[in-house]
Amino acid sequence: MASLVPCPHCGQRPKEEFTVKGAALARPTADASPETWFDYVYLRDNPRGLYDEYWHHTSGCRRWLVVTRDTATHEIEGVRDASAKKEAAE
Amino acid sequence: MTDFIIEHRAALGEKKSSSFMGVKLEVLPEGHVLHALAGSADGDLSGAIRTALGLEALAVRFVTPGQWFIVGDNALSHAELTGLADRLKPMVDIVDQSHGRIRIGLSGEKATAVLAKGTAADLALAAFPVGHATMTLIGHIGAHITRTGENAFELMVLRGFAESLWDELADMCAEFR
Repeated sequence: MASLVPCPHCGQRPKEEFTVKGAALARPTADASPETWFDYVYLRDNPRGLYDEYWHHTSGCRRWLVVTRDTATHEIEGVRDASAKKEAAE
Repeated sequence: MTDFIIEHRAALGEKKSSSFMGVKLEVLPEGHVLHALAGSADGDLSGAIRTALGLEALAVRFVTPGQWFIVGDNALSHAELTGLADRLKPMVDIVDQSHGRIRIGLSGEKATAVLAKGTAADLALAAFPVGHATMTLIGHIGAHITRTGENAFELMVLRGFAESLWDELADMCAEFR
């Protein structure tokens, strides 16, 4: 696990200040099939390499962040505010 | 039924401001701490809040995007508080935290060295200039740190943690006794 997380609002902070929620996936539409929802809620890829995770800066700015982390090397490629991610997707 | 007289006790009432070699730990007055919350996380309204209330720079402190603490040494009456909230109304909403958050002063040439024992926030003057404020952990206690001078900090902590944090800070200062 990465031990220093560069929060876009607070700067470098130790992982103890954060709560990890898990993979940041695109949410299916409300009318998507039960299979799609089951996949979204329960099934995870467990990739080797880079992937996006939701982290909450619980003991800092209390913002939800999207951390792009390498599961093999623990290196952090990028951190952005979760609200910024939504705008980028639109 | 028994009538109880509510007695106000200072959170750090039993603590005395203490001076060490090069660092001073201070009990700050329980004045007012107001949490200002904007509707959106975008934009810095701290300047506008200062102008609207005619406050000095250090009275309005960054908490998180869209949120600030308005801090002062004087206690506010209910009328003063509502008047103040009305003046800020279109811009931010105010939540009174005066009884919930306690301030501790830490100053002196060793203040940075003492604080660095407890927090991972970068306290270098270049990264944490005077007037900069941030929320972080000091040991296991969540605290809001403001740099009020090159060698001076103000810590703000939830009331119930004030005594614990004070004792931890005193331990952290112990090497400078």
